[in-house]
Amino acid sequence: MKELSGHIRENIAGSNRIFYVYCFILLVIAVVGLSQAVKSLAFGHGHSTMSDMVPWGMYISGLAFFIGCSAGATMVGLLIHGFGREDYHPVGTRAILLALLSIFGAMNCVMMDVGNPFRAMKIPFLLRNETSMFFISSSSYMGFMTILGAELFMTIKITRGKASSRDKLLAKLLAIVAVPYALVVVHSFTGTIFGVVKAREMWNTPLLPIHFVTSALASGFALVILVTVITSWIHNKELVSMDTFNHMGFLLLFFLIATVFIDVFDYIILSYSATEEGMETWHLLTGRYLVTFLINMGGLFSALTIVAFKKGRTPRGLLYATSITLLAIVAYRINIISVGQLVPLYPELGELEYIPNIHEVAPFIGLVALLMFIYAVLTKVLPLEDKVHASHT
Amino acid sequence: MRSLDRRQLIKLAALAGTGAFLPRQASAVGEIFEAIAKKMSEGIKGTIGQEVETPLPVKGARFGMVIDLGLCIGCRRCSYACKLENNVPDTINPPYIMVLETKYKPGQIIAEEQPMKNHVNGNGLLYTKLRRDRMYMPVQCNHCADPPCTKVCPTKATYKSPDGIVMMDYNKCIGCRYCMAACPYNARRFNWWKPEVSPEKINPLVPLRLDGVVEKCTFCVHRTRRGRTTRCVEACPNKARTFGNLNDPESAVSKLIASERSFRLKVGLNTGPQIWYLTHPKEKPMIWYKPIPISPDIRGLRKSG
Ligand code: SF4
Ligand code: SF4
Repeated sequence: MKELSGHIRENIAGSNRIFYVYCFILLVIAVVGLSQAVKSLAFGHGHSTMSDMVPWGMYISGLAFFIGCSAGATMVGLLIHGFGREDYHPVGTRAILLALLSIFGAMNCVMMDVGNPFRAMKIPFLLRNETSMFFISSSSYMGFMTILGAELFMTIKITRGKASSRDKLLAKLLAIVAVPYALVVVHSFTGTIFGVVKAREMWNTPLLPIHFVTSALASGFALVILVTVITSWIHNKELVSMDTFNHMGFLLLFFLIATVFIDVFDYIILSYSATEEGMETWHLLTGRYLVTFLINMGGLFSALTIVAFKKGRTPRGLLYATSITLLAIVAYRINIISVGQLVPLYPELGELEYIPNIHEVAPFIGLVALLMFIYAVLTKVLPLEDKVHASHT
Repeated sequence: MRSLDRRQLIKLAALAGTGAFLPRQASAVGEIFEAIAKKMSEGIKGTIGQEVETPLPVKGARFGMVIDLGLCIGCRRCSYACKLENNVPDTINPPYIMVLETKYKPGQIIAEEQPMKNHVNGNGLLYTKLRRDRMYMPVQCNHCADPPCTKVCPTKATYKSPDGIVMMDYNKCIGCRYCMAACPYNARRFNWWKPEVSPEKINPLVPLRLDGVVEKCTFCVHRTRRGRTTRCVEACPNKARTFGNLNDPESAVSKLIASERSFRLKVGLNTGPQIWYLTHPKEKPMIWYKPIPISPDIRGLRKSG
């Protein structure tokens, strides 16, 4: 413990001015953005553009996106401990940190969205309903955070060379258990939140949980790769070898193919829908929501094309492919949540509308800045694999 | 006195935390902190400032309603009366009962069209001037036999009572709006703003709500469980609405449901709505009342649409 605090102090002392300025800017954005969320907490969501007709907005899209992003750590953990890919070790802790922060972000989206977050904290112990997918998935996030927290602790121990063989075994077990837990419980049930809603044509499909799993793997893994590329660039040294980048690109290709496969056939079937609501959903997607639809599908296809070629699986190629993947999946989350609700439940209501305004966008940007700030500080103070390795050589 | 002290303390804490602020900004911050502290205590304790005893479910009863579209003239008296009866604040728009105007002419909806999942394709309007060449259709909570809203609620804040009424426990609602997303009938309303009802209009039998909770039609539980009928039934000038016990084969609702003209909304979804509609049999003379104007400013409707 003493050694760890010494390590933290050393790192802070070694921080340069650019790092402090970067952190300061993030903190200012976070405070300004989140102050809007504090206002909504005090006086209600009246200023937002959500309505009784379109009750879920940007925060729920954010929840779906952030939860997806947490899948990266599971894959990296499995590669290291399950498949013995030691070359992924340098990104092990970073991947877990990203996953933990993603879940933290997702839970904050829920807290910013609900009308009474203080009461929501009574879930799952004082308030519960086992038939509610919202209850199941939000409870599962806590379990996932516990698993990831334990994994982080063990990984840090291993990195610092303080782990016993029992610790290593435990780390391996945690990394392996995390995979079915994340895929079957966390991501599938998040998809099921929407899948069970028979009132909304676009959501009510058994494909949704599967889609959430594949898109989570694609976005989570893309995030880990993107951070690896950016970190390599900042430190002016490759965090992992070119071979590992190539392997990362291959895996991303696989996840993208699975996501695109489900998307394409889901949309083809939707465009032939037997119901009027289904057809109207299709018309909305290819009409008012054409831009996000194109970003989603076009983005996935472009990213897939980049990583399909060996030349694209270099740090530069991966930088483009992963950024495009993340953008495409953000667009998908916007589409699924917004378009899913925009078909009026009574045709007499006319057309519905949901365009998030500054009161929703600002807290969201503030939250992203806060997550980036926490990540920057934690990667600075924690003994990460690459830093420890560098200090040893 | 105690609450005043606490309030002052919160303000002081807020001021101390923002020492450099100008007095006006500081008081705005104090107001925010005060509102959050109030929400926190209300949220945790679950009290909403007005003790109201909800009567227990009526043994052996299963409540339901029938609305005769042949008799509804779209005057919205039901909607307005419901709003007053249930302490629904002005910030909730539309109220619990929406009276939709369909492009069908009276007599045009026929029984063979059941189930009327999508009974009209066009762009009808929610609130317009009364037109004799149009049909009107009031919609509200159907108190479904198998309600999707209660299944998805993470806290059991909404639940099905033994007498068929789908209830709300405002003290458990976290305002996640999952029930709203899951309800196929657009029956639920969220308190986007702090709900305010002028004191002289408050019905003491109905609890007041907080901002951030969901509410909806309760089949006037404070009346119906005490042997009275719902307020909307009383308010309808053409007696288009009938309320009663579906378990009693001799009740007026049971007899009307048996009619060939009866149908329910979106039966394909297997929610088992407990409101039946009667199609318009033929053009028949009715008394037409002037509609009650309700603010057209409804959140979520596309203005150009
Ligand atoms: S109409 Fe909607 S709110 Fe009412 S019981 Fe059915 S699902 Fe629930
Ligand atoms: S908004 Fe309230 S009643 Fe509706 S699902 Fe959430 S907790 Fe339950």
